[in-house]
Amino acid sequence: MSPDSGAATTLDRRVATLDHAARSLSAASDFGKQVKLPRVLEALRRVLQLPGGCAAVGARAAGLEAAGLFLGTDWARPHILIPSLSTGSLRSANADTVVLEAVSDLRLLAVAKGDLEHPMISAEQANDHLSQVLAVNLSLLFTAPTEAERVQQGRMAEVSRALLNYLVTEIGYEKVLENLVDEIWRILRQRPIQVDSVKRMITQIAVARANPDVDLGASGLGADRLISSLYGTTEGCREDPGVEIYRTRVESMDDSALQYEATGFARSMHDTGLVSPYHAVLLRFLLGKGEYLLGEAMGLSSTGRDSLLCYHELVRSLIEQAVHVETAQCIYGLTLMLERGILYQPPVAPALWRQLALRLSPHSQQRLTQVFGPAPNARAWLLSGVLSVLGLPLGIGQGDNPTCQSARALSMWAYNDPDYLLQTVVWAARDDEIVMHFEGRPISSRESDAGVSTALQHDLDPVSLLVVPHLDRIYAEMGRQCVGRDGDPHRWINPEFHGWWSGRGFRINVDVATGQLTDLEDFQRHFYASYHPFYNGNQPVIHPQPAGIAITDSAARFVGWHAITVLRVNLDPESKMRVYFYNPNNDSGQDWGDGVVVGTAGHGERFGEASLPFEQFASRLYIFHFDPLEPGESAAVDRTELDRVFGYIRRSWGADRLPAEPVADEQVQTDGH
Amino acid sequence: MEIAETLKEKGVDVAIPIFEETVEWAGAINSVLLDNPRLLGQSMLLRDKSLMKRRAQLGGIRVGIFEEAHERDDVIRFLKRVNQTLLKLDGDPNDPIHVKAFDKAGCLGHRVIRTPDEIDTIPDEEFPVLMESHLDGWEFAVEAWVHNGRICFLNISEYVTLGYSVFVPATPELEKYRPEITRQVEKLIKTFDIEFGFIHPEYFVTSDGEMYFGEVAYRPPGFKVFELLERTYGFNAYHALVLAFDPKTTDAEIDAFFPKEVVDATGHAGCFGVYPRRRVVSQLSVPPETEDHDYFDSHELTAPMAEKVTKRTAFGNHWGLLYFFGEDPYTLRDLLKRQEELDFYI
Repeated sequence: MSPDSGAATTLDRRVATLDHAARSLSAASDFGKQVKLPRVLEALRRVLQLPGGCAAVGARAAGLEAAGLFLGTDWARPHILIPSLSTGSLRSANADTVVLEAVSDLRLLAVAKGDLEHPMISAEQANDHLSQVLAVNLSLLFTAPTEAERVQQGRMAEVSRALLNYLVTEIGYEKVLENLVDEIWRILRQRPIQVDSVKRMITQIAVARANPDVDLGASGLGADRLISSLYGTTEGCREDPGVEIYRTRVESMDDSALQYEATGFARSMHDTGLVSPYHAVLLRFLLGKGEYLLGEAMGLSSTGRDSLLCYHELVRSLIEQAVHVETAQCIYGLTLMLERGILYQPPVAPALWRQLALRLSPHSQQRLTQVFGPAPNARAWLLSGVLSVLGLPLGIGQGDNPTCQSARALSMWAYNDPDYLLQTVVWAARDDEIVMHFEGRPISSRESDAGVSTALQHDLDPVSLLVVPHLDRIYAEMGRQCVGRDGDPHRWINPEFHGWWSGRGFRINVDVATGQLTDLEDFQRHFYASYHPFYNGNQPVIHPQPAGIAITDSAARFVGWHAITVLRVNLDPESKMRVYFYNPNNDSGQDWGDGVVVGTAGHGERFGEASLPFEQFASRLYIFHFDPLEPGESAAVDRTELDRVFGYIRRSWGADRLPAEPVADEQVQTDGH
Repeated sequence: MEIAETLKEKGVDVAIPIFEETVEWAGAINSVLLDNPRLLGQSMLLRDKSLMKRRAQLGGIRVGIFEEAHERDDVIRFLKRVNQTLLKLDGDPNDPIHVKAFDKAGCLGHRVIRTPDEIDTIPDEEFPVLMESHLDGWEFAVEAWVHNGRICFLNISEYVTLGYSVFVPATPELEKYRPEITRQVEKLIKTFDIEFGFIHPEYFVTSDGEMYFGEVAYRPPGFKVFELLERTYGFNAYHALVLAFDPKTTDAEIDAFFPKEVVDATGHAGCFGVYPRRRVVSQLSVPPETEDHDYFDSHELTAPMAEKVTKRTAFGNHWGLLYFFGEDPYTLRDLLKRQEELDFYI
């Protein structure tokens, strides 16, 4: 007998139990499946824990699916699954979730290998999905479970790892890294301020590359670019020598060598949006070398260079205080801030001087230190955060959804009114209080009750970290002051909260009391007339406008209400009218189902913008602001275009919200005009 | 009455009780549907523990001594009387008596009383109660499907520890009693006028091999014995319930449906009711010893909802069941016994 026959019989036994459980699940009627399901899940879990378990489950995946394992879950429709969500399910503390995800992935593997035909997903799609799942869960392949994972997941932590190992041996690293690299580039193209997760992923690729067992294949090149942007950007730090050694090297370089280093860093930074820690070392060193090399190291255009020369004292102080190895990422923010030319707005430069000398309140100091660590000091972290926000107004992301209003406000101010943003930062950081006025009455963040977000968030940039809790409380208080008024409170809150430029006209197409859609046709015509250049007299959006979106998932099911900013409405490179908007989520590239996929690059988007074709955007819109004095030509809106919008609504979040009488009824009336 | 008539209009032939509380309902409805007023009385008989014992006694079935109590004084008197008959002297420890609420399901409201002080712990709302003498012995349960007065399938469920664990089919030692048990159950069917349906009686075998009737229920047993039967025999016991209850089912259909007892079993299936052993628990943690055992099948435990463990009030209210399945009844029995010493919640 072979030495592992003992293990084989255990596996056989457990597989037999699984088969028995699956048969009884299969025999149960739909309403009875819930009772039989726990046994199947348990049996699956026990099979997956054994060596060879993944293969055994993979071979049974089709049968399990037919028996109704996925019934009533998202896994029942594999074509709507989103790879990035697998991170959550594979690390879930709920063993059943891990098992379902594992079985689903093994089923997709069978589909990808051509062993199984699935009515809803093709072999190619399955393969694609799996390689993305592997890519986003790469850390599970290379690292042992952390203490936290062990406590939370127990032995299931090993199951997730065994699953990924099995998948990767079947699919190969090559495809996985390629996907991961694509994913990183996709996120980087949105130029987020918080790049820690991206850096972690790149580090994992670097680890994989160092592993001789891993065949990288063709994806090596794209990965190289990312790794080098962090760890070996230029000639002087090619072999990742460590910052101390690099500093001594820089000190011994002549001007032409420094010039070479400077342009190398600048090119890499503008290319990826990532800043290498070595870059910070160089920039600090160049402070003693004159403006020309500083400008080179930041890759400034003539505008940026001009700002640098006009405000050289200020910029030097900013670098001196904000740019450290730990905060290197703010170099990109500083560069873009110079490029935006906002220093020429009279209040901005003095406000930055104030920021440089700012004394933080003990609370602010403690919060920053708690999240970012003691080195460099809290003031440097905040300053670096301010620079990032000013340079990348669309790079602000919220860690958690309830604060989308506050994140949007910060972004809007950084974009449109940097002076005001700098003021609020000072209020929050120095005074621990922000006061805003609502209909003539002051609202203090200190005296207000809890905000919309219940827990203090930590995965935020320094500015959001200090300011968002205040804004959140003020926003909630404004909401409380509107209690009892008819309709949606954002009608009054948005202009007062975000700024005077929010249109005072307000439209909503949801009846707040019932959640039903109302005035669908009027609403859409009005939106077209206000924003679509063909119907509003070719008037571009001047100020960013707050708007409300009904977010749907990849199956076009309603998820929740979300605050976004409409930035531009323009023809894209293919001459299609698109809405470009800012989404305070950390990742704007989202699949909203029914073919509505939010673009973040490739359709004329600027860094940080999300975009949708006008009609698709309109179909998810439920709140917008407008200028009542600029009516546009609502009657001119094309009938077929509106019908397409209604189609999108009806197939997604509007499905169960449409009024009892169909839209066709309104159609007759309006056609009579 | 209204339910019964409505059901009759809709073409329903028979009502089948699934839970203890529905036994009377089903009886009442069946009285109308089957046009047999006695069925209501029969269901009342099967619900009232005191009436049930009396009827069994009338039928010549051996039962322990029992009495009804309407207040605490009755209990004290009974406890004294029982120990007097056992020839106990002053200072000897009392033999316990069992006190059960009249019409509660399973083990709810069931307590063991040894001293008069313990009687004070019985809440007022549990009266009236049935009091029984305690019998030392081997307790087991029987599940019997009856059609036209004939037993079509008889299963013996062996308790490893009452209220904790049970498995089917029983060990050969207990199966040895099958002919005698079958005779006893037939007697029960006759005594209680059971024409069709399903009964679930409990018996004691005392050390001298004498069988005593405990009680009988006219509904599926707790502790998921039906699931265990399905696991080992492969037939759906609820399905069997429907067949046995339906007066229109033919004998041929019955014979084709049921397997042969014991010989057709593919193994032994057992389950264990988990009850936290600690006073304060924070999480569910199935011991690897249990999980890795070849016989372990599945569990239906859920993470604790509260940290504090409430005191156990009856045998029925465990936190969830563990299921086991294997070939050897003795291994299974020891395994089930072993579970009592393990912590599933820590």
